[in-house]
Amino acid sequence: MCKITKEDIYKAISTVIDPEVGFNLVEMGLIYDATIDNSCNVKVTMTLSTRGCPLHQMITTWVKEAVLKLDGVGDVDVEVVWEPAWNISMADDNVKKALGGF
Amino acid sequence: MFAISKDFAPPLKLIAPFFKIGVTFYLIAIISLMFFNSSFSYQEMQIAGWIHLFLLGFVMVIIFGAMAQLIPVVLEVGHAVVDLYYVILPLLAIGTAIMVFGFWIEPYIISYGGVLVLTSMVIFALEAFATLKKAKIDTITVKTVAVSNTFLLFGIVTGFILALGLGGVVSVDVTNILKAHLYLVLGGFVLLTIMGISLTLIPMFSLAHGFSDRAIKIGFNLVSIGVLAVAIGSIFNIIALQYLGYLLTLIGVGFYIYQIYLIYLLRVRKELDIWAKSMIFGFSSLILSLILGIVYFLPNMSESWLHSSMWFFILGFIGFLINGHLYKIVPFLVWFERFSPLVGKERVPMLHEMYPKEEATAMFWYSAIGIFLGGIGLLIEHDFLFKSGVSLIIVGAIFLYISMVRMLNYGK
Repeated sequence: MCKITKEDIYKAISTVIDPEVGFNLVEMGLIYDATIDNSCNVKVTMTLSTRGCPLHQMITTWVKEAVLKLDGVGDVDVEVVWEPAWNISMADDNVKKALGGF
Repeated sequence: MFAISKDFAPPLKLIAPFFKIGVTFYLIAIISLMFFNSSFSYQEMQIAGWIHLFLLGFVMVIIFGAMAQLIPVVLEVGHAVVDLYYVILPLLAIGTAIMVFGFWIEPYIISYGGVLVLTSMVIFALEAFATLKKAKIDTITVKTVAVSNTFLLFGIVTGFILALGLGGVVSVDVTNILKAHLYLVLGGFVLLTIMGISLTLIPMFSLAHGFSDRAIKIGFNLVSIGVLAVAIGSIFNIIALQYLGYLLTLIGVGFYIYQIYLIYLLRVRKELDIWAKSMIFGFSSLILSLILGIVYFLPNMSESWLHSSMWFFILGFIGFLINGHLYKIVPFLVWFERFSPLVGKERVPMLHEMYPKEEATAMFWYSAIGIFLGGIGLLIEHDFLFKSGVSLIIVGAIFLYISMVRMLNYGK
């Protein structure tokens, strides 16, 4: 049985910062889900704030590398989806406040 | 699902020279304004020289450099032959310098510079078309790239005919061909490119989502038809068709402004950084330019209304849209090249830390106030006011140049 939890994965991904806005991907609300199977293989489902973001490939690589740092993790797959489209209501309150959206 | 690969991104050493040379041409163009008066005619060779210096040396060089980076982002494919950009820049820069020298001092060399510029633009347009063929997506921005490059090719052809006409090689109505050439390049390529690219960049930088793009589609179609109407009307001297084209372009730009307003309302990021301030000033200048342009078409209005309208369009709108985006694009390129490999290993700077804030603020205020004063000076044909405005823009251009050098050297 795998001991890695969804919280562990989110915590690992929260070390990845978007260099344009300066917030981590978790507080931006860009991470939609993370699933872990019995062999500790992880699948992260996420989105990006803009389609056509020039950092697309790099951000997914950073997410993968961040999760791979967890002890005992198996394969890591990162899928970027566009539905549902990201919007500011998905972000944490501190992000909303800092960006001036609310 | 599609991912932009790092392999698609052109190296900094390819793109940085476009920005360095573009900003240098901007500085030279602004300084040279001191030698002009507030009253002039469009057909003066000195004016034609300045227009080419600014539009080719600054606008085109920066747009071409930005497109080297943005085409893969917008089309979501790599360039067909990215190394061609190493050839495009020297041809365009040297060709422009020769043309401007020709317009100002030795007219017989204009066509030599024109051939170099022509070659550079043909290579750019063909490379863009080859890249477009690889694209699998079909957005308004992709259509804009296709249509604007087609207009660019026609603009180049009319420019070449114009050069031959001025050199006495062929017999053409220079005034009409000049009108078609100006409209095809300025409206067909520069305006449509800005319209298309800004629909990608402005929502990206302001974090605006969920807006309808109906207004930009209508605006895009109207401007495209308008440019075609003016070009055909000018070449065949059909006045009614030219006026129909002007009207369609004006309405199309109105739809574009409305689209930007919709994006503005839905933006999440409300910080007034140098980019946001530049966009506000740029679009305010565009609205002012439209108003001045409409007034010019009323009966018995002086040509100074048109001069002032073009001033706010070229320096206020195009200038600020380009310069404002430089503070986003250049730090990104430098960050991508020098800092992205260090992510996760050491602290890397945020993009907003990579441009000099004080120089950027100085660039904004000196340029904005200068453009406003200069535009009023042109409108009332007041030399002192015009030159006072130009003096301030020169100071702004120096701060832009310093900013560019600092951004490109960040982390070196």
